[in-house]
Parts: sequence; structure tokens; C-alpha cells
Amino acid sequence: MALLASVSTYALLGVEARDVTVEVDVTSGLPSFAVVGLPDAAVRESRERVRAAIQNSGFDFPQSRITASLAPADLRKAGPGFDLAIAAALLGANGELEENALRGTALAAELALDGALRPVPGALAMAERAALAGVERIIVAPESAYEAGLPSAVGAAGGARVVPIERLADLRRIGTEGEPAFTAPAPDLDVAPGEHPDLADLRGQPALRDALEIAAAGGHGMLILGPPGAGKSLAARRLPSIMPPPSQPEAMEILRVASVCGRRPEAGAVSRPFRAPHHTISPAGLVGGGNPPRAGEVTMAHGGVLFLDELGEFSRSALEALRQPLEDGTVTIARVRHSVSLPSRFLLIAASNPCPCGHGEDRPDCRCTPGAARRYRNRISGALADRIDLSLHVEQPSAEALGGAEGESSAGVRKRVTAARDTAHLRQGCPNAELRPAALRRHARLGRRARQELTSGHRRLGLSGRGHDRVLRVARTVADLRGCEVVEADHVATALAFRRRGAE
Amino acid sequence: MSAVWTLRRGEAGYPACLHDLDERAPGVLYGVGDRSLVSGLDPDRVVTIVGARRSGAYGRGVAHELGYGAGAAGLIVVSGMALGCDSAAHEGALAAGGSTVAVLGNGPDIPYPPSKSELHERIAGEGGAVIAERPPGQQPEPRFFPERNRIMAALAGTVVIVEGRHRSGTRHTANEAEALGRDVGAVPGAVTSSLSELPNDLIRDGAAVVRDPQDLLDLGLGVGVARARGVGPALEAELERVLLAVEGGAATCDAVALETAVEGRSAAVALARLELMGYVTADGVGRYARTALLPPTVDE
Repeated sequence: MALLASVSTYALLGVEARDVTVEVDVTSGLPSFAVVGLPDAAVRESRERVRAAIQNSGFDFPQSRITASLAPADLRKAGPGFDLAIAAALLGANGELEENALRGTALAAELALDGALRPVPGALAMAERAALAGVERIIVAPESAYEAGLPSAVGAAGGARVVPIERLADLRRIGTEGEPAFTAPAPDLDVAPGEHPDLADLRGQPALRDALEIAAAGGHGMLILGPPGAGKSLAARRLPSIMPPPSQPEAMEILRVASVCGRRPEAGAVSRPFRAPHHTISPAGLVGGGNPPRAGEVTMAHGGVLFLDELGEFSRSALEALRQPLEDGTVTIARVRHSVSLPSRFLLIAASNPCPCGHGEDRPDCRCTPGAARRYRNRISGALADRIDLSLHVEQPSAEALGGAEGESSAGVRKRVTAARDTAHLRQGCPNAELRPAALRRHARLGRRARQELTSGHRRLGLSGRGHDRVLRVARTVADLRGCEVVEADHVATALAFRRRGAE
Repeated sequence: MSAVWTLRRGEAGYPACLHDLDERAPGVLYGVGDRSLVSGLDPDRVVTIVGARRSGAYGRGVAHELGYGAGAAGLIVVSGMALGCDSAAHEGALAAGGSTVAVLGNGPDIPYPPSKSELHERIAGEGGAVIAERPPGQQPEPRFFPERNRIMAALAGTVVIVEGRHRSGTRHTANEAEALGRDVGAVPGAVTSSLSELPNDLIRDGAAVVRDPQDLLDLGLGVGVARARGVGPALEAELERVLLAVEGGAATCDAVALETAVEGRSAAVALARLELMGYVTADGVGRYARTALLPPTVDE
């Protein structure tokens, strides 16, 4: 006698969910329990959790030969999220559940030994996939219900009904009148600037404030150079607070990524993420990697800010890996059987000491050997050269400046930034930082004096062609911030002052 | 055009240095422009900068730079107003606000070459002079030019050859300078360029190497006596305040903004303008420092 049952669940690949079918076969033979289909250690261990949960929920665990297969068999499965599906398929095969009870149903949860359901990462992506595949209901742990309900709330189509259950035993109620109900959340996501520290704390550094404002308004990558204690990270941490709150689609993407990366979305306002990976991070940690591919810091920063403190200390390979995400806004991780694209559109802000000891090569108190200082400088200037439009040097503010009045708060700056972003979007449909050369020339019309200024910058400051374009992009943003349609000389001069220096 | 004046040998005001030419000293000098400048010429404060007419961008650029450096340092630049290097040297001196003297082979009131009539006017009008031993109205003739070369050599304590071929008028000037015991400098050039034959020859024979205005000042005034400082364009009041802040040690945009009590963005604009004008420069990490360039008001 062979008993067979199958149910649907999902595996995560990057930030997307892929369909996985769990089949369980119960046959006579020596009692055993095997899981096949490229499971990782956590999936193999699910056998023990499933056995205990089934027994502690008042079901019968068959003393037979049990084979659980996760299809497609060539997709690696990771994590404990398959527990509930395996248990449900086993209960179906064993006749503990109605044969048709789980038709059109997907399940995704981890099981506790006592039969309780635990949430899994990526429930939002799974529910999206379920809606796309026309699945009728998706069974999740109560903690996952909010995020799983978002796709059907936000999406135009109906989507899958979310059924949160607390215990494995509740599966008996599926398809009956006692089926637990869940009210989908409101269709409009609440968005907010979030709990980022306020720009008012930045005192006595007016130029730094201006540069931050320009970076936020145009989406320009920015580099802050200066000795330790000059307020570089203080400033960087305040960048998200002056960016406009995310749009609805952006908020959804931010939540999806957060969900997949294990930061479970909760009901409440969505704000832009701020990520500050340590400089010892590996390339894979930064841009994502592994098998199955996992999101890296750049993806976690999607829609928000990525802060690289001590830019000169990051490994060359890590910085090289940043090129693609900065260029394309996505990371592609290619594996033998598939390649995965991860979103990674973020605002880059980097900070660095001018030399390894932090004082600056030309200062008497610098302790660096010339070679070390040169290597450091090359790494700073060579890294991400094309994607850092703004750079400035800051010093420790004086005591009087620090004791002085608070600066303008984030809310005021954010208003101007939002207006400038809207202007740019209306004009060209993207932030100024993403303007390609041809579009840049079309959209950044220069006044007569502005053209002269840019030409003399070209001649006197030795601007390269790319440097010229970067200055033009930033000047466009400055003009947008001032509400000017034509780029004027002062805007070009500002862009020249904040231009990236050093090796091209 | 201002009136033509004369300086006669043996009378007061005749430049003393021309006596070094002995019997070859011109009997009369005709001139337009500033007469007292010519009569008071002190060879130690005068440099003659000459070079090929058909010169390259290299020669013209260097001549301009040398003229500028000498003019900015208060030296008087003498040259022949010819196309190429000579005109560039005059123009450099004028750009630096310095005085310059052109020595022509024809009458001093006739701009030659005609295309340089504007330069002729500027030299005479902006504190310099155009002189010649030919009377006013005298049209140029080929034989006049080698003759005027001895005057250019005699007027200056230092003669710098920018570009020139083996056989050229420039060689003639160099020979005259050597014969008169003037300091001769030459601008080195590519050994493959025929335009640099003469200066490279001169260097081989012991002429001083002149690579930049500093070399020229070291040669003309003595090593380390003067620093080559240019004079930049005029400054608005705000730019001047910002420049003073940078001179006072404000190296960042923030520091300048606080020092001068302007907004951050105005400080950025001002610093960019000053950088474009050449008053300040920034290192690889964006720290500003003052250059040697002087604002016109501080000069003199």
C-alpha cells in the first residue's frame, strides 16, 4: 500500500519566491524518514521537528518508510520554512487530513516541537508569488499574516487569501467553517521619513549641509573626506532623514527586501533603510552571494542609503563588486542553474580619512609612509570613480560652532529635496544622477555665463570628459534645488567646488 | 597715437646701457609711449625675450609665460613685436600689468607686422614704449632688422632665447648679447625640433637653462631674490574676503563659510571661482590652499 500526497510551498531565491511542490510518500518497510531535493542542513533537520510536531498535535506519525521530495529537485532548498508543508503533506498521505482539504493551498511556516507555527522570512514575496500563480489561500504563522496580506491589499488582483494558524492541529479546520479568517491590511502603505537622526544636530558645517542636500536631491553618490572626529559619519547617518519618504512601489520593494532578509515587516510606516556595513565585509556580503543566492548589503540598502565608512579600508574586490549595482541598480548573481537579480538602487555615501593615519599626508603630524599614503589615496580616488559625483573635505568644527545654534531641521531640508526630486522626475523621469550623457545635455541647459564657467573649468582645472558630465549633473541638481529651469553660473560653480578630485 | 619723441646720443635721457655698443650705438632713438621709461632703463631690471617668428605653440606659450612672470615681478620686458614668440612675450607682460618695450626695425609709429597694430597701440598706451632708430614714417626693409637686434641685446642685462633655428635673426640677437657680455638664457626644447636648434645649442655652449619664470628671475635678479608671482584678474568684494580667509588658513568650504559668515553654498561658489582664476588650489582630497598669484590691488 502506497499513500501519496502533495502540497505547495515556496523556496526563496534572492528576493523572489519560487514554487516548490512537496510530495510525501508513505510505504511499508523499515520505518525511516528521508527528505530529498537538494535540502540543506536546516531542511534535513526538519524531519525531527515534523515528527515531534505531528506527535504533539494529536496526530498519528506512521511507523513506515516515509520519503519527502521537494520539487523541482535541482533547486537548492534552505532554511526551516518547509516544515509546515512537509508535515501537511505527510498528514495528507497518512489520511489524517481530508484528501482535498489542501487543494489550491500553499503553506509556509517553521514548526516548533509542540506543533506551534513560527514565521519564515520572505512571506511577502511568497504571497506575491501565490497571487501570481492563482493560489487560493496561503497558510502562514500569525506573525507573517500582515506581510502576507500586503500583496492582495496593494495588488489590483484579488490574490491569495491569507489564513494564519497558530498550531499544526489547526490544519483540521482548513476548508471548514471554522477556518481562521484574516482581514487584509489597508491598501495604502503608510510611509514616513522614519526614525533617522535629525540634521539639526549638524552644527557649524554649512557646506557639508549643502552637499548633503544636493546629494539627496539628485541621488548623487557622495564622498566626505576628513580627519577623525570631523563629523563624517554623523553627517552620513542623517542623510536618510532629508530624503523624501518612499513612494508606494518603493515602500513595497523596501518591505519585500526586508522580509526576505529576515527583518519582518510590521504594521506601521515604511521608511528608507540605512545600511552601514563594516569595512571588513566580503564582496559576497556586500553585493550578495552564496548558493542559494542571498541578498547582500546593497540590496538591504535598496530604496535607502548605503554608507561606506573608512572607504580606503574596504578590500579592493569588495569595492569592485559595487560597480554593477551602482551602474544598473540591480545585482545579478549567476549560478550554474539559474541567475538571480536582486534590486539595489541606493544612495551611496562614503567617508574616508585623507590618509591611513587620518591627518593628511601634507601635515606635519602625519605618520604614514609615502607608499602607504599613496596606495590609500589611489584606493579612495579609484574606487567607484564614476558613481561619486560629490566630494568635499571637512575638518573638525570649532568649539564655538559646536556650541552655536542648531542647524535647520531635516523637515525643512526635506521639503526642498522633495520639490527638487519632483522637478527632475517630471522633466526626465529619473534622478539627475542617473542621466546619461545625451539626456544630460538635453535636460541641463546652460546659461551663457554658466557655459563659460564650465569651459574654463575644463581648461583650467583639467576636467576630464566624465568629470565634466559629473559637474553638469550636479549643477542640474543645484539648479533644481533653487527652482531654476536654466543652469546658471553659480550652480556650475557650486558643482565645481564639490567636484570629485584626484585621479580619474 | 601719441607724439613721437627722440632720445639723442650724448644728451640727457639717452639710455646709458646703449653706450656698451660703443660706436655702434644708435645716434638717435625715436619712440612713442613712455619716454621716461626708456631713458631710465636699468639693464638689471630688464629682460629681453626673443624667439622665432614661425614658432610653435610651445614657444609662444613659454614666451607668454616668461613675459607674464617677468612683468609680474616688475621687470621690463623688451622684445621685437614680431609674430610668434616676440608678440607672445609682450602680451604676457601686458597681461601681468607689467611694462614692455618693443624695438622695431622701421619707424616707431608704424606697426609692423601690420597684424600687430593692436599690440603696438597697447604697448605704447599701457605704460610701455615702442622705439626704433629709424625716423617716423620709415617703412620696414629687410636689412633693418638685424640692426635693431643689437639694440634689443644692449637694453637688457638678461637675454632669453625661446625658440629659433641655427641660422636666424634670433641667433643674431644671441650673438650680440654674448658679445656685449649680457647673461644669455635659453629655453630647452625637443632635440628633434628644428625650432629648438638654437636654444639647445646655446645651452650646450653654456647658456643658462630657462624653464619657467622662476628660472628667468633667478637669472636676471640672482637666485632666490624674487619669487615668480603672477597677478590675477580683479576680485569682487566677497571673493576677496574668501581669499583672505584661505590665506588665514581656512582650508575647507565649511571653514571659509564660518570665517566669512557667508552661506555654505556661497562659500562653495566663491572657492570654485577663485580656483578657476588660479588664486587658490586644492589638493587631492579637496583642501584649499593659496597660490602665488596676487590680486591686482595688492600688487604695487
